[in-house]
Amino acid sequence: MILPRHGLQVLLLALCFMLTIFCGTQDLDLEKPPLDRHEPYNFRGKSGMVVAAHPLAAEAGLEMLKKGGNAVDAAIATTFALNAAEPFASGIGGGGFMVIYSARDKKITAINFREKAPSKSFPEMYIENGETNEQLRRTHGLAVAVPGALAGWSYALDKYGTKALSDVMQKAIQIAEEGFPVSKTFSKINKDEYEKLLQMAGESCCYLNEGLPFEPEDVFRNPELANTFRLLASKGIEAFYKGEIARKIVTAVQEKGGILTLDDLADYSPVEHTPIKGQYKDYTLYSARPPASGGLHIIQLLNIIDNWPVKEWGHNSVPYIHHLSEAFRFVFADRAQYLGDPDYIHIPETELTSKAYGKQIALQIKSDHVLNVYPYGDFDEKENEKESTTHLCVIDREGNIVALTQTINLFFGSGIIPENTGFLLNNEMDDFSRDPESPNAPRPHRRPLSSQAPLILFQGEEPLLVLGSPGGTRIFPTLTQIILNVIEFDMSLDEAIEASRFFSYSVRGETRPIALESRMAPVIIETLKELGHEVLIREDYDKYFGGAQGIMILPGKDIILGGADSRRDGYGAGY
Amino acid sequence: MRKNILLVLALSFLLSLVAFANKNVGEDLPRFELPNLITSVGQSADVQMASVLAKRAGLNSVLKKTAAAQDLEGIKTLTLVLGASLKGLGAAGIDVDQEKERVRALISEAKKRGIPLLCLHLGGEARRGQLTDQLITEFLPLSQMLIIVKSGDHDGLFSKICEKNNIPLVEVEKTVDVLAPLKEAFQ
Repeated sequence: MILPRHGLQVLLLALCFMLTIFCGTQDLDLEKPPLDRHEPYNFRGKSGMVVAAHPLAAEAGLEMLKKGGNAVDAAIATTFALNAAEPFASGIGGGGFMVIYSARDKKITAINFREKAPSKSFPEMYIENGETNEQLRRTHGLAVAVPGALAGWSYALDKYGTKALSDVMQKAIQIAEEGFPVSKTFSKINKDEYEKLLQMAGESCCYLNEGLPFEPEDVFRNPELANTFRLLASKGIEAFYKGEIARKIVTAVQEKGGILTLDDLADYSPVEHTPIKGQYKDYTLYSARPPASGGLHIIQLLNIIDNWPVKEWGHNSVPYIHHLSEAFRFVFADRAQYLGDPDYIHIPETELTSKAYGKQIALQIKSDHVLNVYPYGDFDEKENEKESTTHLCVIDREGNIVALTQTINLFFGSGIIPENTGFLLNNEMDDFSRDPESPNAPRPHRRPLSSQAPLILFQGEEPLLVLGSPGGTRIFPTLTQIILNVIEFDMSLDEAIEASRFFSYSVRGETRPIALESRMAPVIIETLKELGHEVLIREDYDKYFGGAQGIMILPGKDIILGGADSRRDGYGAGY
Repeated sequence: MRKNILLVLALSFLLSLVAFANKNVGEDLPRFELPNLITSVGQSADVQMASVLAKRAGLNSVLKKTAAAQDLEGIKTLTLVLGASLKGLGAAGIDVDQEKERVRALISEAKKRGIPLLCLHLGGEARRGQLTDQLITEFLPLSQMLIIVKSGDHDGLFSKICEKNNIPLVEVEKTVDVLAPLKEAFQ
């Protein structure tokens, strides 16, 4: 068919018009990151952003923002979705911490929804014949602490959100019901924890695919979890802490030798508090307080680092890695000596986070050799293995912000699933010290020490960076490095997140090796060895060092950037 | 007539695809006898998968993650599940050098007793890395047959070792697909 010239012009105009409409309605969130996830990529938004450890969860949060929900509504929608999409790292069977910034009031608050030890806990509960029974701490009913996640989410939503609990969990119900193809990360973690799942949940459990681990692209569905969410949507969190689900939790735990009771669940409540605050040059950091130790330790580290010319040394140079590793070792000594549940012990927070104390430590560190002695307290070596937990960040169109870190402790928690509920119970009791004399020993109702550090960093009066990470005791060394990457080394957010990391610590005042991602240059590794460090090389992008998620608000708030860690399945969704 | 020829060609093509779906390299596949001892080389959780698969295949097998020479008493086949895990090694209370020593001693005893070795690598691409590759390079050449999830051979490491040492290699798509060749290997 041949169009007359006039008809052709009309057709072209119509096509141009349609193209314009199409482009104009494209959300920034439809941008796709590069196929190579290790290539730094900043998700972009103008009105809001959600960054989380799974694309489905980030999209659930974004959907809530677009429906008119605020940052808290979106954060809680994301937490429910994470329970469905990343069930091995957090969920209603666990706990965590969040920091909330209200843009209108310019106020910051923090909510502690960390799990609690059951009322029958006691310091020697894991000791048999004079030795610690590791299985009791990790894959046993005694490993389970009273979950706090649902209580914390509900509290935040009631006080600071605008939506009902039933509204924010709808996307999570859909994810659990319809399922999704699992990623390589999910499959690998599923395989790593296969023995635990076989032992604690059985071959027919929903977290195995007909008794074997899920392979990448296998579809994972969890209709039992969807039903649990529907029950909560209709009956509220009472069903979990006092009703039908509570009874199932207690039965499941006690059948596996645990001591958790219905009263323990009924008595649980989260705690709201002022966040801990620290200063680094013209940046102010806010994070959760102990028993979340991460924020306190980041402030300690920045106070120490403030005495050094890190920018001159250069990113991941030998002096940089050497000095920071020594600083980590001092901080771990303090952690073992002083940190625990502040509801029950005194933590010298002011002294630990003072500039003077940071300077005192900095002066002790030598530039030409490893000290090998860090004269503070105890730290339990085995606590260092954890890579689990998850973090999310949200900012809404008003500028309200949520930074939230949560966990069920080890991947797949205790492996215990209350009957027909689809969710995993934590093994958070493993975060208590093995030493019955420690300030962090298990005792009734105490919250175990955590390294979590959801944080908001301000430049002057304005929020600049929202950040957090999983990774056990690597959390605060990792977040310190990311902050310095942005502030001192002028990296973009995702460059800062993807940059190679290192970690070290001390145990009973003694040096432990520096763990490095294999991307570090060989000459750096050799020079560190010459200084006296023992070095352990890990994978090139190793989730051992965490899986950070972050949001950066550029001056003038014209653009919001989201950074998601390729070490896990991090993803950003902005609009 | 032309149509029939095309049909025959199409069917032949389809049949050849099916035949190559589970790729085998090397000579005729060996047969193994029971009872079977399954042990880990590297202490990854994949050894548990092997045990579950063996049970489903109806094979009389014993799982001993850190098997030693004395565990070979009465055994006719030694199955080595290749895959390193720092977490697994830590849980077993050994380091990778101790693990290598254990496996060397075990294989040496198996050779003395004339017990053949069947290797499995079930973790796919995710269960490859520096440590696992060291173990593969050292111990796979000593075996009589290898079954792998094929994504684990993305760089051809398994294929090259098997070809060099004339070891029959069976590749499957997923861990659950190991069941059939495993069962067949013991018939």
